[in-house]
Amino acid sequence: MSAASSRVGQALQAAVSAGAGTYLADDTKREIRICAGTACHASGRVALRKAIDAALEERGLAGDVAVVETGCHGFCEEGPIVVVRPEGVFYPRLKPVDIPEVIETSVMGDGVVERLLYVDPATGRRVAHEREIPFYALQKRIVLGLNGKIDPYSLDDYLAHGGYSALAKVLSQGDPQNIIAEVENSGLRGRGGAGFPTGKKWRLCRQNLGEKHYVICNADEGDPGAFMDRSVLEGNPHSVIEGMIIAAYAIGGGNGPVEGYIYVRREYPFAVDRVRHALDRARERNLLGKDILGSGFDFDIRVNQGAGAFVCGESTALTASIEGQRGMPRGKHVRTVAHGLWGEPTNINNVETYANVPFIVKSGADVFASTGTATSKGTKIFSLTGKVVNGGLIEVPMGATLREVIFEIGGGMLPGREFKAVQLGGPSGGCLPAALLDEPIDFESLLAAGSMMGSGGMVVVDDSTCMVDFAKFFLKFTAEESCGKCVPCRVGTSRMLEILERISEGRASLQDLDLLESLADDVVEGSLCALGGSAPNPVLSLLRYFRDEIVSHVVEHNCPAKVCRPLIRYGVDAEACTGCAACIAVCPVHAVSGERKAVHSIDEDLCIKCDACRRACRFNAVSVETGVLAPA
Amino acid sequence: MAIDNGRNDGGNGHKGDQAKGSALFEVIQGIDFERRELVGKRQGSGDFDLVKDNGGKDRCYACTLCERTCPVDCIDIGYTASDPMLGSAIAAPEDAAPPVDMKLFDPIIAGIRSGSGLVEALHATQEAYGFLPRPALEGIADQMNLPLSRIYGVASFYGQFRLKPVGKHVIEVCLGTACHVRGAPLVVEAFSQELEIPVGGTTPDGLFTLQTVNCLGACALAPVVRLGTDETVGRLGPNEARRLVRRLRKQEVRA
Ligand SMILES: Cc1cc2nc3c(=O)[nH]c(=O)nc-3n(C[C@H](O)[C@H](O)[C@H](O)COP(=O)(O)O)c2cc1C
Ligand code: FES
Ligand code: FES
Repeated sequence: MSAASSRVGQALQAAVSAGAGTYLADDTKREIRICAGTACHASGRVALRKAIDAALEERGLAGDVAVVETGCHGFCEEGPIVVVRPEGVFYPRLKPVDIPEVIETSVMGDGVVERLLYVDPATGRRVAHEREIPFYALQKRIVLGLNGKIDPYSLDDYLAHGGYSALAKVLSQGDPQNIIAEVENSGLRGRGGAGFPTGKKWRLCRQNLGEKHYVICNADEGDPGAFMDRSVLEGNPHSVIEGMIIAAYAIGGGNGPVEGYIYVRREYPFAVDRVRHALDRARERNLLGKDILGSGFDFDIRVNQGAGAFVCGESTALTASIEGQRGMPRGKHVRTVAHGLWGEPTNINNVETYANVPFIVKSGADVFASTGTATSKGTKIFSLTGKVVNGGLIEVPMGATLREVIFEIGGGMLPGREFKAVQLGGPSGGCLPAALLDEPIDFESLLAAGSMMGSGGMVVVDDSTCMVDFAKFFLKFTAEESCGKCVPCRVGTSRMLEILERISEGRASLQDLDLLESLADDVVEGSLCALGGSAPNPVLSLLRYFRDEIVSHVVEHNCPAKVCRPLIRYGVDAEACTGCAACIAVCPVHAVSGERKAVHSIDEDLCIKCDACRRACRFNAVSVETGVLAPA
Repeated sequence: MAIDNGRNDGGNGHKGDQAKGSALFEVIQGIDFERRELVGKRQGSGDFDLVKDNGGKDRCYACTLCERTCPVDCIDIGYTASDPMLGSAIAAPEDAAPPVDMKLFDPIIAGIRSGSGLVEALHATQEAYGFLPRPALEGIADQMNLPLSRIYGVASFYGQFRLKPVGKHVIEVCLGTACHVRGAPLVVEAFSQELEIPVGGTTPDGLFTLQTVNCLGACALAPVVRLGTDETVGRLGPNEARRLVRRLRKQEVRA
């Protein structure tokens, strides 16, 4: 044992020193970090990078100051994000024109450019460091710890921050059962949605014998409006790979061959690219492939891309997709751990689940389990989006309350808006109203409240969102994404959608609500897989918490959020209208008319209710009425 | 009626106790799913017939669903790559503009030989041609020794595969949750009106294709739109959408 242990230790040392000189983890060095995540890319990091390079070149600093492109920092709302190290000065929403000033003040000098700093919306104060920004200060970042700190394209960077030491520890101990026990003791539960205990899954998979075992990482991230897995893969791909190798060793070590797959959605080109790159680098240094770190254990990982089917996140559909079939789930009477990919025992975990594993191995199960609640241990990443001030990626301890997350980290609602609901779990989850804001976030509490943990999507909506429309959105999504194999899901979701459409058009009766409820139960009961089994959840939570709003649609033809088009009417407020003609210019159907400096009017017969005029009006003179009209 | 499936499989079989008494149980108890054979039913007792339309044409268009879901694997659909049956579903070679350059196909074949799966091969094809041209699908069918119908079944299942050529600018509007609550439906509508095409359509001049997508991962910048493969624009309202189209149009006129 000790011989093996020193061999692995030396091999890791060799892997680390193979890159020495190209990068040193020196936390005192002057360095500019630009976020190169998907969101910051969209808000202009390429132009920013060019400006930085040019400005450094001009000042003869090109070789001295390192420019590092990192993964997502989490605060995507404020992108593109630049952090100047070692002081860690945080510059949000930078523009290329600001760069020379930033470089002269913060890179060449020790100052900060006051006017470009982040303004804390609560206090109105400018803050210079990530740690002082409430968005970051209240988080607990275990999985995301290195996100935004390291260059995802650099294996050396990861190694310099203690990367792959968990793998070396596991391989030198050489006891797969022990790792499984450790993960079981840590209480880690799957982060992909269902919360199945990870250690137990590994044990079951190990017990099932086959010609081969498969270890798969589910990075399909089907929940639309969530990007946890994208950010982890983009920002720190090696942590997921290390977790997968450890899982593979726990399942296959001394138990036959193992092979790995990462199934990642095609919509994430950066994540795919970085994962592929990371796999190549790991192979070069013998962290992956044959005889990993001289331990005699073989394991390799292939990347498979999804093709835009939500249902492929479901484990049996995922394996079908890798096999080159239509991604249709099969019944769960045969478990994937026994009979998965190509009929062999298969372990499927979520990205975030794997990313937690190196931490557990390094720090021990107890340390991991010291965070969280009785049944849910560790932290959970959420992607906080919708109508909050600070949208982005957050990692909080299990047991934090929704209020803390939304109002303290998320900074609360946009000005002048009122909190209405928070939606968790995506198309499989439910909406929770303000009364439940003090619920702790853990698997059981959320389920009991009629929602679910899900994979981490958290969409906050305010009084301008119509809950009927919101439920309709989710149902339309699941009806479209239903693979069509089983009738309850294929037909049931469409019928439910029709009822919701009737409600939003003012053509429904109160009996429809009962029908909706009983249909929902049938779809839950009768569907083959969890897509149908959870598709009615958004509707059920709507019926449970927002019944008044539906009834008001049905009885009074009133859409309080003024969203459902058949129930609203546009008009001009004569008092406020200044006759500026801005609305006339934008109306796509020429429904607005009037002379300059005279009150305008909207022709209701022509109006298509596209909202363009209201958005264009700077005087709030376009009014929307509801509840008074009879349905067409 | 006890099920004798010939082995004790340690809990992996279906849970008889729970389902007992239900109609579903009556149906499934004759089938041993794991061994995929009918127990207690005479084999070969069925007689297959394909239903014809009034005109005498087969209604089956080989979607391969029955082949996929058959619990006993007794259906085998064997279209050959040259079969004209798939008709208009896949773009005919002459639809494809420009004509399909089969040289681009060589790396895809190499990929298949090195063990990439069907979905990966389709991705590579779409990357090379912008859509899935029929000759390429036939080539994949030949290489993988699969019926073309099976390739079509897979290609049509996944939302990202396109069987028809696309315009020069592909506009993909995100309709994920975060984008939805920040008004993405109005953005789609604005594009659709400005371009005068429905979602999924291409303008007659071949310049624009309008599509929707479920989340691009930049949710904090909602509503988000992707142009082509590498440009993503955030915080794009309906009025900005119209302006964007006009700008692109102007560029084209000048070019
Ligand atoms: C319709 C549907 C979609 C799913 N999508 C995902 C997904 O995008 N990502 C994911 O990790 N799990 C998804 N799951 C859950 C997986 O089936 C599976 O439970 C999970 O990947 C297991 O990993 P875990 O134990 O680490 O959570 C989905 C399940 C269903 C029913
Ligand atoms: S992508 Fe830059 S902070 Fe998220
Ligand atoms: S919901 Fe549109 S980018 Fe995520």
